[in-house]
Amino acid sequence: METLGAAVASPAVTAIERWLRETTQADHVRIARYEKLPGGAIQENWMLDAEIGGGPWRGRHEWVLRTDAVSTVALSRTRAQEFAVLRVAEAAGVCAPKPLFLCRDKSVLQREFFVMQRLPGVAQGHRLTREPALVPDGAALLHTLGANLARIHAIHPPMPELDDVLRVPANPALESVADYRGHLDQLDDTYPALEWGLRWCERRAPEAFHITLIHRDYRTGNYLVDRGRLCGVLDWEFAGWGDPHEDLGWFTARCWRFSGAEREGGGIASVEPFLDGYESVAGTRMSRAELTYWQIMAHLRWAVIALQQAQRHMAGGERSLELALTGRIVHELEYEVLRLIAGGDR
Amino acid sequence: MRDISDAADLMTTAREALLRELLPALPVEHRYAALMIANGMAIAAREHRLGTDAARSEAARLRNLLADSGRSPATHDLSALRKAAAAAIRAGYFDEPARAAALMTDLAHTAEAWVAISNPKALRPAARAASTPEA
Repeated sequence: METLGAAVASPAVTAIERWLRETTQADHVRIARYEKLPGGAIQENWMLDAEIGGGPWRGRHEWVLRTDAVSTVALSRTRAQEFAVLRVAEAAGVCAPKPLFLCRDKSVLQREFFVMQRLPGVAQGHRLTREPALVPDGAALLHTLGANLARIHAIHPPMPELDDVLRVPANPALESVADYRGHLDQLDDTYPALEWGLRWCERRAPEAFHITLIHRDYRTGNYLVDRGRLCGVLDWEFAGWGDPHEDLGWFTARCWRFSGAEREGGGIASVEPFLDGYESVAGTRMSRAELTYWQIMAHLRWAVIALQQAQRHMAGGERSLELALTGRIVHELEYEVLRLIAGGDR
Repeated sequence: MRDISDAADLMTTAREALLRELLPALPVEHRYAALMIANGMAIAAREHRLGTDAARSEAARLRNLLADSGRSPATHDLSALRKAAAAAIRAGYFDEPARAAALMTDLAHTAEAWVAISNPKALRPAARAASTPEA
């Protein structure tokens, strides 16, 4: 970890300083802090404090530099794609960190990266669902989160900035089923409960759907809350064109409720204020049957990602207890899929 | 009752030592890693106690489900049976309502048995009472 309070010196920092000087048309740039933020199995986030002399960006800035971790999962986008999505979301009034500069030149950090605004607040799901002081009014937070999600879903194709980097699916649910099966087929073991969930979703795939921008990781743990209020939605690496219902299923699925397993609204409160907030902007409300369908799909998708994480540990040469334990989550995801299909509690 | 510790007892005892003696002495930034280690040890201990039964019962259920399908592999190997079941599911063999119901019941039992090992707290009360109690 590179943590120095004063001027930081390392080849990476020197390279970033040089790149920032060009990008911001500055006379000189000094990086006062460059420190890896915790978390991020797939992406790395670095706290970046820069002092810029001259040019349109002169002054002190608190930013985040976002780049790929050593290994990524197949379902995630490139940093350039994520940057493009963030710009479109920002223009649509979505609450998210402001994207600033993209670097596709791999000679700087050997990986693509971008720089964005740093926002205050707490994101950790286990804290937000356990410490009432952080979320004094859960219903109000959920209402805002629902409304904010609907603003993302107001973005439709065609959109020239995104059409080059994102594909429009012909049938989102069926394509997800095919995609997840493809990933399962890469593995050594087989998972009959996941297969049954996929078959169930295949046979009941919605015939009618809209295609909008969807975030695909909109859930507790991926948004910042400061003094009880939403500060910004993070982690846009999976965003793309899809069925907006997928995001509502993901947000409300039991696997993303942390310490609030019985609170369907992301572990924060009941699902109603979330759906109310969504409806206040979108003008539509998801039915219970649709929500259950996409909650099943959410558990299937998380199972596929968890199995990919486990593979990194088992076969990818990246031995890690955290990745190994993520693989063990698959059992409870199978259990939830079966319970939801059987009409059990959500 | 055995005279000396088996694998599960060693794992459980080592985990208690970690949580009682080491954890309080660890700097806060290592707390998460210690709790992950404790979790991994708890899963390993439960799997030692319950894993063989879970695997054997799952194999028996899958063999039974596939018995009339013409797809049952000539083996008791669990991974071969899982593969055969997965292929039958994809091919639509279990779409027929009576078969679907039998499959659901059996898959649910299997899932409960593995959740009782990987994360018993995730089991709903009815299933939790039925699973082997464990520290």
